[in-house]
Amino acid sequence: MSVHLKSQGVIELSGRCGADDAEVLQHHLLAMSGATVEWSDCEHLHSAVLQVLLVGAPLMRGAPKNAFLATHIAPILARLVKQPLRAGEARVTRAPHVTRTEEDQVP
Amino acid sequence: MDELLAQFLIESRELVDQAVDDLLALEKAPHDEKRFDDVFRAFHTLKGGAGIVEFAAMQTALHCAESALAAARTESRPVSAPDIGNCFRCLDQVIEWLDLIESVGAIPADVDPADIVGLFARAAPPVAALEPRAVDDPWVATLLSANAGVAPRARTAIRYAPASDCFFRAEDPLARIAALPGLLAVAVGPRTPWATLDALDPFSCNLTIAALLASSPSEVGAALGAESRYCDVRSLSGRSGARADESLTRKADELLEAQLSLLESAKDAHQHGCIASAGLVAANVLRHVGRSSEADVVATAAAVAIAESRLEPLLEAIGAAARGALSAGAAEPPTARRQDAGQTIRVSSERIDALVRLTGELIVSNNAIGHAVRLAEQEGSSLAVTLKNQHAALNRLVAELQRAVVGMRVLPLSTAFRRFPRLVREMSSELKKPVNLVLDGQDTEADKAIVETLVEPLVHLLRNALDHGIEDAVTRAAAAKPPVATILLRAFREGEHVIVEVTDDGAGIDVAKVKQVAKNRNLVPADDLAGLTDNQALDLIFLPGFSTATTVTELSGRGVGMDAVRTAVGRLGGQVDIRSAVGKGTTVRVTLPFSVLVTQVMTVEAGGQLFGIPLDAIVETMRVERDAIFPVGAAHAIVLRDRTIPLVRLADVLTRRATDQRDDSGPIVIAQLGGDLGAVQVDRIGERMDVILKPLDGLLSGVPGLAGSTLLGDGSVLLVLDLGELVR
Repeated sequence: MSVHLKSQGVIELSGRCGADDAEVLQHHLLAMSGATVEWSDCEHLHSAVLQVLLVGAPLMRGAPKNAFLATHIAPILARLVKQPLRAGEARVTRAPHVTRTEEDQVP
Repeated sequence: MDELLAQFLIESRELVDQAVDDLLALEKAPHDEKRFDDVFRAFHTLKGGAGIVEFAAMQTALHCAESALAAARTESRPVSAPDIGNCFRCLDQVIEWLDLIESVGAIPADVDPADIVGLFARAAPPVAALEPRAVDDPWVATLLSANAGVAPRARTAIRYAPASDCFFRAEDPLARIAALPGLLAVAVGPRTPWATLDALDPFSCNLTIAALLASSPSEVGAALGAESRYCDVRSLSGRSGARADESLTRKADELLEAQLSLLESAKDAHQHGCIASAGLVAANVLRHVGRSSEADVVATAAAVAIAESRLEPLLEAIGAAARGALSAGAAEPPTARRQDAGQTIRVSSERIDALVRLTGELIVSNNAIGHAVRLAEQEGSSLAVTLKNQHAALNRLVAELQRAVVGMRVLPLSTAFRRFPRLVREMSSELKKPVNLVLDGQDTEADKAIVETLVEPLVHLLRNALDHGIEDAVTRAAAAKPPVATILLRAFREGEHVIVEVTDDGAGIDVAKVKQVAKNRNLVPADDLAGLTDNQALDLIFLPGFSTATTVTELSGRGVGMDAVRTAVGRLGGQVDIRSAVGKGTTVRVTLPFSVLVTQVMTVEAGGQLFGIPLDAIVETMRVERDAIFPVGAAHAIVLRDRTIPLVRLADVLTRRATDQRDDSGPIVIAQLGGDLGAVQVDRIGERMDVILKPLDGLLSGVPGLAGSTLLGDGSVLLVLDLGELVR
C-alpha cells in the first residue's frame, strides 16, 4: 500500500501507486476535504489513482521523482487546484481535454 | 488452366519483376516521388489482379505492403529500409504462390498470408493511422495550440480512449502513454463527464489521454501495440511537417558542417577519437533525417579514415552528404516504361520453338533442293536454269525466314540482368561489403536460350566477385580504394558473339596462390606448373575441384567452382576467360554465340568420312610441308609463328589408332581447344555451311567428341565434332 495518512490533512503517495491505491486515496480524500497530497516519493501513478486525483483535485505538494509525472502530469494536477472547484460541473462543461493552459480551450 | 488464370500468371510475373526493379530504384533514391509512385502502382496493380482471380491470400499480403507504402506517403517520409525489405519478402511470397498456381493449375486454397501480414504488422503503424485524415480536427488543434512551445517538433498526435474495463486487463493507460517514444506533451480528460468524487468508480477507466509526440506515427503505433485500436493516431507532417522537415534538414546540415570544421581543425590525422566521433555524429544525423544510405557511406568512410589515419575519406564523405551530393541518386533517368505494350502480342515460347523447328526442316530441305539443282545441271537437264533461278529465290527467302525466326527468339539481356541488383544487394549486406553494381549494355540481345541459361553462371560469377574478389573494408581502406566496391556487369555484341563481362575492383587473383592450390590439390603435375604463364595459371581456377576460398561461406565455396561456369557456358557454345591484376581487380569474360539456332560449320574429310567442325572453334586453316611437322616424344607438333602447337591427325583420333604414315601433307586446322591452340590435320577441307545442329540422342548421345548432327542436302548425316573434347 503506497497511500498513507502522513499527518492531519496530508496524504502521502510513495513508491509505486497501483490500482489498489485508488480506492484508499478516494476514501481519504472524501474524509478530508481540502487535503493536500504529498507525492515527492511517488515513482509511478496508476491511471486509476490519477482518475481520483483528477476528480478530487487536491493540492499537490512536492515534485515527484518520476520524470514523466513531474513533466506531464504535475502541471495538469496543479492547474486543477488553481481554479478552485465550484463543483464537478465546472469541468463537465469543458472540452474533454484538460490541457496545461485551459484558457486556450475551445468551450 | 483457364485462360483468365493463365493471363493472370503472365501479368503478375511481369508486375513482380517491375515491382522489384522499382523497389530497388526507390531504395537508391528514397526521396524520389516518381519512383515511389512506380512502386505503389506495381503493388496496387498486383493486388487488383489477385482480386480479379479471387486469390484472397495474395490480395491480403499485397494489401499489407501497399499499406506500409501508403503510410510512408501519408507521413511524407521516405519508405524505411525494413519496409522495403518486407516488400521484397512479400514479392518473394507472391512468386512462390504464382509458381504454385502454375504447377497446380488453380488458385491454391490453403495458402496463408499470415507470415507476410505479421511481417508488416511488426513494422507498420495501426491501420487507423494509415488512412489519410484531416489533421485539423478540433482536438488536434486544441492540443497543438495548448502546447505551442513543442508543437513544431510534433510529428504525431494521438488521442487514446482506453476501454472502461482496461484496468482489469492489467492495462495502465498512463504507463502506456509514459512509455511512448518522443513524448512532448500530454493532456488528460474524462471520456464522459466525471462523476463526483463520492460517486466515482476509480476502477472504471474514464480517461482520454491526448499526447503530442516527436516520433513518427508508425513508431507510436508500434509502441501502442494492441491498445492502438483505442487510439486515434494522426500524422502532423502534412500540416507542419514540411516546416519541421526543413528545419530538421537545416539543423542536420549545421551539424554536418560542424563535424567538417571539427575534422579540419583536428589536422592531426592520428586523433582517432576525433575522427570516430565526427563520423558517428555525422552518420547519426544522416540516419535521423532518413538518409540512411548516406549514413552508411559516412560510417564506412570513418572506418577507412581511422584505418588509414587519414582525414580525407571522412571529410569527403561528410562534405558530399552536406552538399546533398549523395542523395543525387534521384538524378538517374527514370526507367523506361514499356510504352509499346499495345504493339506486342504474347506468343508462348512453345509456338516459337515449333516455328524454329519448322524453319530448321525448311533449311535442310532447301539444302537438298540445292543438291538436286546441281545434279540437274550436271545432267544438262533443260529445267536446270529455271530450277537454279527458283532455288536462288527460295534460298533468299529461307535465309530471311531464318533471320526473322532468330529475331523472334531474341531477348534483351536485361531479362537476365534484372534480378542481379537485388541479388547483389542481399549478398552485399550479408557479407558486409558495400558494393555498387553497375549494369551496362542491358539492351544487348541474345537468343532466349542463351539469356536464360546465362543467369546461373552469372550469379556464380557475381558471387565470386563479391565473396572472393572484393576485399573487406579494412583491406580496401589499407589499399586506398573507395570503401564502396564496384562490380561492373557489362554486355555487348561483337560480331556474331555476345560478350558478357563481370569486372570487380577487388583484390585480383594471386597467381602464385593459384599455383600453390593447384599443387596442393594435385590438380596439375608439379612439373607442368612451373612452365605455366600467368594467364595459363589463371586458367587453373576453371579446373574442377579448385577453390581458393579458405573458408566456406554461405554464398560461395560450396564446391561448385568456376568449372561449373565454364561447363555451363561451354554447353551454350561459349567460352570463359579470366583476366586479373593483383590489387586492381578481376574481369571474367563470357563469350557466347548470338544464336543457338544456327551453327556455322566447316566440313572436313578425314578417314574417308565427312565431318563438321564448328566455325567458332577454328582460328585458321593452313597447309604445312611434311618436314615442318616434328615429333615430340610420341606425339607431333608444328611451329606456328614461334609457338609450338601440338598436332593430331583427325583420322587417328577418330579411329583411335596411331598411324605412322607421315606421308600426307594434308591441310591443318588450327583450333581453339579450351584455352590453348591445337592443330588438327585433316585429309581435305570442304565447304562452309549454316546448319541447324541437332543434339545427339539415343545410342550416339554418349559418344564423346560429338557436338551434334545435321542433315546434308543429299540426305546424308553430317556429324559435327567437338574438337576440344575429342583431342583432350
